[in-house]
Amino acid sequence: MSARDGRTARAGTGGATGGGTGARAGAGGEVTARIEAAFRAAGVTGHLHAADIDTGREIGVRPDEPVVLASVFKVPLLVAFHRQAAAGLLDPTEAVTVRPEDRSAGPTGISALLDEVRMSLRDLACLMITVSDNAAADVLLDRVGLAAVNETAARLGLPRTYVDGGGRDLYDAMLSDGGVDSFAELWARLDEPGVLGRLRGLDPARTSRSTPREMTRLLGLVWRDEAAPPDGCAAMRRLFGLQVWPHRLSSGFPFDDVLVSGKTGTLLTVRNEVGVVEYPDGGRYAVAVFTRSSLPIAALPRADAVIGTSARMAVEALRAPGRPR
Amino acid sequence: MSKIDIGVKTIFGQLSSLFVNLVGHLTCFVAVAEELHFGRAAERLGMAQPPLSQRIQRLEKELGVRLFDRSSRRVELTAPGRLLLDEARDILARVDRVYSLADRARLGETGAVRAGLPADLGGAVVAALIAAFRARRPDLRLDLREIGTAEQVRALAEGALDVGVVRHPCDSRDLDLGPMLGQPVGVLLPADSPLAASPEVHLADLAGHDLVAFPREEAPGTYDELLATCRRHGYEPPAVHEARHPQFALGLVLAGTAVALAPRAEDGAAAVWRPLLGDPLTWRTSTAWRRGAEPDRERAVADFTAVATAVLRTEAGMVAVGEAPARRVVARPASGFLA
Repeated sequence: MSARDGRTARAGTGGATGGGTGARAGAGGEVTARIEAAFRAAGVTGHLHAADIDTGREIGVRPDEPVVLASVFKVPLLVAFHRQAAAGLLDPTEAVTVRPEDRSAGPTGISALLDEVRMSLRDLACLMITVSDNAAADVLLDRVGLAAVNETAARLGLPRTYVDGGGRDLYDAMLSDGGVDSFAELWARLDEPGVLGRLRGLDPARTSRSTPREMTRLLGLVWRDEAAPPDGCAAMRRLFGLQVWPHRLSSGFPFDDVLVSGKTGTLLTVRNEVGVVEYPDGGRYAVAVFTRSSLPIAALPRADAVIGTSARMAVEALRAPGRPR
Repeated sequence: MSKIDIGVKTIFGQLSSLFVNLVGHLTCFVAVAEELHFGRAAERLGMAQPPLSQRIQRLEKELGVRLFDRSSRRVELTAPGRLLLDEARDILARVDRVYSLADRARLGETGAVRAGLPADLGGAVVAALIAAFRARRPDLRLDLREIGTAEQVRALAEGALDVGVVRHPCDSRDLDLGPMLGQPVGVLLPADSPLAASPEVHLADLAGHDLVAFPREEAPGTYDELLATCRRHGYEPPAVHEARHPQFALGLVLAGTAVALAPRAEDGAAAVWRPLLGDPLTWRTSTAWRRGAEPDRERAVADFTAVATAVLRTEAGMVAVGEAPARRVVARPASGFLA
């Protein structure tokens, strides 16, 4: 931390910055209020937790309430995959064939392809994280096992993190709960009375779930090489850094020298992203933002962007000299 | 030989040549009238005495009056000579003016350097620049214009400007640049602001204050970099007020809620300037001219560059910075290769 740009130097100069720090007293409360206001302005309810990976300083907005993971379930799955690889339970370079008729639905990756594909388990993991490939994720989930994923979460100190099933399970449940034949039809009928309430996939008590604080804890473990052996953690960090989506967490940090790694989660009105923001001065912050919009609209850029802006508010408060709580 | 013959000869011979050379004959007349001595007048005119005498005689013949009384000892103006002297001087002055106007018209294209300067350099810098250029190139007129970087780049491209002083980053694809100069940007605060108590201010400490900056159209690249750096370091101004001149910026700062980001300024009773912690912001400035401009401009542009670079260092507190420090760029997939 000694290299951080000027902030440690400032701490060293002590009282010389009295004016600035004095003005910042109580900034923790102020920043959570501003984050809440940003959520409101974007038309979402939001849950957020941000933590300095090295010092534990944190900021939270309802950080311990249960939230719907959606595709964020692929994060604990990836961790379990790498722990099994490290334990010798699977070979990440083993090639598997994914046939069209076996594929889970989804808009990206292998889910979108038409023909048979053969690739290694670790490349499936790459597509699962970088483009949220549901077919790749389900192949990995079948291989790793649901029980192993939840056991990993428990072992890593994430008691409220629970993965209920993969992409295929969730897809089938959504269609049957909604009484529809396609995902497009589900979107179209989302504002009909009672439909939202019937969807187990949107109820954290009845689907894959966690809390913002547990997700930043999991990312902290990955970034500190504690979730798996260092080479496994490095491989995971690489994949999160290659995620393609620019519209959520990444959009809040439009700075060329700042690395943003993450994994989104999207399910109807649920828009999430968990990730890590790393500054050139060595500061690194795990952020988990889970939102749900009140509008049944699929294209809602404000709701995507507020994930980035709320994350930036939190990270800047963590980086500011006033040490807000 | 009849009188008519003489007239015809005069008109088509001597007279016509005299008309063409009337200015030369009048110049001789005025010189002799002022010196009252053919030898000194010939010396002044850079000619021998006999042709001077011939010219005076020819002029007297043409005008039909004696201009001088010549004795062996002295030369004196006659009454008609005195009468014509003022007129002759007037004609010569007007002829001079014709030539000088023609010269200026010609110099307007080749003998002046048209240079652009940013609006916020300050009077001392402009005055020093003009004086230093005049000392270096007394033969050239310096035509200074107060225009921003973006407009300078356009004017350089169109050939409406010979050389400019531009802020970077700007579109310099078709430009050659002089030495790169850097200038740290700090914050101008009301003297009674709590932030003024610290020797340095972190950008994040400015949170909540409106920002005063130069208008974006002056130098869009520099402006965008300024605001991006503010955001990058945790300062997102609630509002940005544009001020073209430093005095206007100062006024907005003194009015209360705003701070200005600007190069070092002298502390006054009401406002103080503080450097930014970690030097996150440096304005880079250089001269610029169109690549491949005409060779006869090269020396003038080089002289302007030498003078402007020296003056910006001594008067505006800029320092040589060479290449911009390598930027750290963490590639994101969305902006990756051919993404």
